[in-house]
Amino acid sequence: MNALVALCHFCELHGPRTLFCTEALHPPSPDPSSQTGTPVPGDRDRDGDREGEGLTMRANSSTTPRGEMCEGCRSLPASHPGFVSFDDETGIRFLSHQHPRQPQLFSMVRQACVRSLSCEVCPGREGPIFFGDEQQGFVFSHTFFIKDSLARGFQRWYSIVIVAMDRIYLINSWPFLLRHLKLTIHSLQSTALKVFDSEQGVCPHRAMRINNAFSPAVFPHQRSGNAARSLTSLTQHPNLWASLHSSFSWLLKACGSRLTEKLLEGAPTEDTLVLIERRTEQEEMSCWEGAEGGGSESQLYHSASQLGLDFLCDDSKLEQLPGPKFRSLRHLRQVLGAADFRQLAWHVLMGNQVIWRGADPVLIQSAFTVLKTLLPVGCVRSVAYSDRYEEAYKCNFLGLSPDVPIPAHVSSSEFSVLVDVTSERSHATSAAGEDDISAFNHFSISSASTQPTDRGPTLLNKLEAALSNENLSVDVVSHCLLCLKEEWMNKVKVLFKFSKVDGRGREDTQRVLAVLGATGPGEEENVRLLKYWMTGLSKLYKSHLMTAVRGGERSLSQ
Amino acid sequence: RCLQAASVGKREAEEESTALPDSYGVADSFPKDFGYGEEEAEIEDSPTSSDSKPRILLMGLRRSGKSSIQKVVFHKMSPNETLFLESTNKIYKDDISSSSFVNFQIWDFPGQVDFFDPTFDYEMIFRGTGALIFVIDAQDDYVEALGRLHLTVSRAYRVNPEINFEVFIHKVDGLSDDHKIETQRDIHQRANDDLADASLEKLHLSFYLTSIYDHSIFEAFSKVVQKLIPQLPTLENLLNIFISNSGIEKAFLFDVTSKIYIATDSSPVDMQSYELCCDMIDVVIDVSCIYGLREDGSGSAYDKESMAIIKLNNTTVLYLKEVTKFLALVCILREESFERKGLIDYNFHCFRKAIHEVFEVGVSAQRPGGPKALGSPCNKAVALNGTARSAL
Repeated sequence: MNALVALCHFCELHGPRTLFCTEALHPPSPDPSSQTGTPVPGDRDRDGDREGEGLTMRANSSTTPRGEMCEGCRSLPASHPGFVSFDDETGIRFLSHQHPRQPQLFSMVRQACVRSLSCEVCPGREGPIFFGDEQQGFVFSHTFFIKDSLARGFQRWYSIVIVAMDRIYLINSWPFLLRHLKLTIHSLQSTALKVFDSEQGVCPHRAMRINNAFSPAVFPHQRSGNAARSLTSLTQHPNLWASLHSSFSWLLKACGSRLTEKLLEGAPTEDTLVLIERRTEQEEMSCWEGAEGGGSESQLYHSASQLGLDFLCDDSKLEQLPGPKFRSLRHLRQVLGAADFRQLAWHVLMGNQVIWRGADPVLIQSAFTVLKTLLPVGCVRSVAYSDRYEEAYKCNFLGLSPDVPIPAHVSSSEFSVLVDVTSERSHATSAAGEDDISAFNHFSISSASTQPTDRGPTLLNKLEAALSNENLSVDVVSHCLLCLKEEWMNKVKVLFKFSKVDGRGREDTQRVLAVLGATGPGEEENVRLLKYWMTGLSKLYKSHLMTAVRGGERSLSQ
Repeated sequence: RCLQAASVGKREAEEESTALPDSYGVADSFPKDFGYGEEEAEIEDSPTSSDSKPRILLMGLRRSGKSSIQKVVFHKMSPNETLFLESTNKIYKDDISSSSFVNFQIWDFPGQVDFFDPTFDYEMIFRGTGALIFVIDAQDDYVEALGRLHLTVSRAYRVNPEINFEVFIHKVDGLSDDHKIETQRDIHQRANDDLADASLEKLHLSFYLTSIYDHSIFEAFSKVVQKLIPQLPTLENLLNIFISNSGIEKAFLFDVTSKIYIATDSSPVDMQSYELCCDMIDVVIDVSCIYGLREDGSGSAYDKESMAIIKLNNTTVLYLKEVTKFLALVCILREESFERKGLIDYNFHCFRKAIHEVFEVGVSAQRPGGPKALGSPCNKAVALNGTARSAL
């Protein structure tokens, strides 16, 4: 969390003071413009010097006319090195000392401290408040009393402030911060109360003060005489500052990992939503399985990584594997030839099972990776390479070894397409031949389907046009595909809402299709595609539509 | 109008008319918000209504006794209890206008915080200020306090030269009489020397010796408040007329809750008589609180009917009577003067009516539609009345 926690105190002698301050120091982000890639040791030394400068500068600039300190407004002596904690996961260092290191932070904390103790009014005096502005940062402050038998009013006035520039973040963290600050404050207060009670037992200070007030012995009052006591002596806690450091550091770390921010450019696509949904499901499942038995951890890891491989990072893994690969849809189209590619893509888009049989799993997998981009993520279920046939409901992409037989009902079904890859190369793969897949492999596509594949769907027509236009680079084509997919996904949403949720009749549906531009040549294919893609909608979206419409109906009937 | 009322009362008193008029007590349609028109007009630019009341600032070094003064004078705190007050950590704005005639905000400052720091808007603080009370602990070494006093008043004067600057030399209860005089002389000398060095001779400081353990703090606060009341000369004249025609030795117009006297006649104030009157208010209010309320605890300890007469064993009589919701007239007179009680009652009735009219004028002058000029002719008239009195 990009924030700073500080303990402040209203000193009887010196007014509001910062006692103890914990800041998070992020590791320097790799700067591409800098000439030296890695920091040399000398760099660090210079850094240290600068820090030292900051300290002295601060010491000079901060000296108010009454800049001196008493016991009560000092936590660590200037000679104390302070406390540091390292977060190995993120590389963040948590530093604690009396004051923050940077002068501009110092003035922000100072301002927050004065405002929290001497300006802002909290109803009931003890409790949380929020204030701040864009310049001086936003502050979450919690004020509280600590009992002290020697203090005026028998108590001292403290506050813990959290200073951050991000207002929304700070307000969102309010419940979390409040809950944990309260714990810290309660423990401080209860230990101080114990000390207070024991001191009162030895000597009742109330009575003593009355007696002193009227005895001439203590006259005149020594203004500087009653030095304020430190928080350490009020709580009798020898490791007070170390424990405060750890609790403040934890607070910063936990608050930071509690909420993470993500920069979204535009609305999330349906694919992103489905991916997020799958990941959450997967996490839930792994938690669940983990609870059942700890022994299956490795298996879990395996399945998780496989899932990840399936739809997240297969490209990067694949890159590392040797052997010939399909690099893009255009590449695939070149290798297979336009007609075969058209047929194959048609089957993919219609939701038919696509079976690749061949000896080279890497090649098959790369083909799947390329073909999968045609479909929304929610529609993809693939088995990369298997030793036996898997049913169509389990997977629409199936890779098989060459000798696996295809069951008769599948080979005769019009809802599947088989690509046989026969390798003509018996020798070791030559580096030169790697790119030239067609030279060594022969692809034969067979399907029982008798439907013509050259009419639709519209999406495929447009895509083919893009693929065959050599002026467009591979990148442009992939963006074009993305847009086409989104366009049709939106149509899927409308149709889903219209037919499944509202339950309209066939005629109305027909009209909607006309509006959507799904009619005309290739209408049959368009409709099939829309229906198939409905299965790829995210569950969240579906349930949202269902409940929203139900709610709307209810309010209408009411 | 005041002139008329007062002089009529006087003339009738001279005729020793004993008839009580039937209009007794009719003039009680007193607006709650009688204030000090001039003061409020000055700070019209202030944003909120709570800030629009003139302020009395309590400033000074830490532990000089600012909060104690505020608590003892306005919240009836026992002086011993102030030993257990916390240190003040922020400005406490005490608005006592709902319970007191003193229609001001008392701002109690923390001594530790430097309000001249650029992060504070000290101009805003001083702009609407009527009086600045600087408290100096006389039992302590006051060199540092004098430095701060000079800094504070010179900056405040630059922002708003209309402020009354008052210095309370506080906690003098522990000092011998000689020591008190010497301390006051020394502080007076040094503070004015500092001002002269800064060529701020026009800045006038008033000094008071105060302690919360006797009535000196109430007396000093009374004088501070009196300076902020524009109607003061009128009130003093009315009191002069009233006592001279009723055979009364001394009369105070008291704010009941704070025991501050907002006006007295022109004879010198003797500390003992002031204390006597304060004690009488305490007795009356305490007895009234215990026995004066209804069974269910409703009612008020101080209302229109409130009046008391106490005869002391030294042929002195104390006479207390309600004037307005917040004000009471307390008089000291000889037993032989008290024989003409009817006259006193009648004169009081006229006096009360006149006071109400004085403040009604203040209110109407404040109204935007009302003729503002009404206030000043009235004051002039009373001043004339003052001279006329000697002729009579």
